[in-house]
Amino acid sequence: MSEDSNPAATPTPCQDIQGDGRWMSLHNRFVSDSKGKEPDVLFVGDSLVQLLHEFEVWRKLFSPLHALNFGVGGDATQHVLWRLMNGELDHISPKVVVLWVGTNNHGHTPGQICGGIMAIINVVHQKLPRAHTLVLGLLPRGKSPNPLRERNASVNAVVQAEVVSLSHVSFLDMDPGFIHSDGSIAHQDMYDYLHLTPQAYQRVCQPLHERIKSLLDKHAP
Amino acid sequence: MNPAAQPLPVQDVQGDARWISQHERFVQECKDAEPDVLFIGDSMIQLMQQHEVWKDLFSPLHALNFGLAGDTTCNVLWRIQNGELQNIQPKVVVLWVGTNNHQHTAEQVSGGVTAITQILISQLPRAKIIVLGLLPRGEHQNPMREKNAEVNELLRLSVPRLGPAQFLDVSAEFVQSDGSISKHDMFDFLHLTAAGYQTLSKPLHDLLLQTLEETTAAK
Repeated sequence: MSEDSNPAATPTPCQDIQGDGRWMSLHNRFVSDSKGKEPDVLFVGDSLVQLLHEFEVWRKLFSPLHALNFGVGGDATQHVLWRLMNGELDHISPKVVVLWVGTNNHGHTPGQICGGIMAIINVVHQKLPRAHTLVLGLLPRGKSPNPLRERNASVNAVVQAEVVSLSHVSFLDMDPGFIHSDGSIAHQDMYDYLHLTPQAYQRVCQPLHERIKSLLDKHAP
Repeated sequence: MNPAAQPLPVQDVQGDARWISQHERFVQECKDAEPDVLFIGDSMIQLMQQHEVWKDLFSPLHALNFGLAGDTTCNVLWRIQNGELQNIQPKVVVLWVGTNNHQHTAEQVSGGVTAITQILISQLPRAKIIVLGLLPRGEHQNPMREKNAEVNELLRLSVPRLGPAQFLDVSAEFVQSDGSISKHDMFDFLHLTAAGYQTLSKPLHDLLLQTLEETTAAK
């Protein structure tokens, strides 16, 4: 799918409708904060990445890996794409880029969302040719079965197929089994049926931490 | 007619019905729980429950958290009129809402908050209400800070006149000498970090304890 016809793959900054300039402040912060830092791991994506930084699990599992967090709540693939093309990768050389985005791409098809994710992967590869990109699977959402769960599962399937042949990319399914046998998601795992509680973050981050460590170990010096 | 004082549910635009699911859960919690304190509002209330400060300071007070991210005064009004006050007799209600009322003027927002407070007072005649002031937002000075400050100035005057209600504003704690807000307090220049919640919770917890003591003494 060409980037011109795919809104999910067209770099787009967030418009400041509310009037407090927060999105641009965050982007500028990321660009300036990254000068002088030497992260081995960069996390980039939406609120699921951003909120990860606010809980103990970040300090325990990811700070020790020298990780930076460029998550922004509400971001869809086109927003992350714009940020990475406009400075957030310019001053750092992480070995691993962890990408978690797509659940906010409302109105886009799974094919379009996958196109957005692939566009991000390509930009990362252009700017950081020696980095490995780890794409995280989208989680199910909503208390009960609903179309967004199907959409997210489709995105995961399409992305997984697309990256299987790329040596500089891998995919990690992040769902430890949040959906119960009755089809429901518990608020103890997702307090608003979208965002993770600290205990749910602990659960999903163990395998993530292991995968990142093994990628770092494999990375050529 | 104040648009910020009209009860309105949130429409499920995205397709996963999360708003109504959370509301239904809160209604169910009213059937099972006997809270002494009810926290209600937007994401500023909701996120509090995900941090240690909730377990340390507010859970022990037998508190329920009916915070819902994105809510305006209209949405909270709708929720309290559609089951979220049923079967409970909290001694104190902590209300924090208004920062998401983007379509409304400061006067309208203030009117929405006082409308909620009035309903709480009439539905829970033995409860005291603590209304929290809107925090500043955005990394630097901007029109939303001015608006939120104006809402606070109006509430400072109107809330105490409603009766068993108090206004608590901790905004000053969050603006640094150069006028900026630190990411250490608000990770996205709107939502509080764990440290930010610590700063907010000290005066709030003190006021809560004091207020709870008063309700006990009054018996």
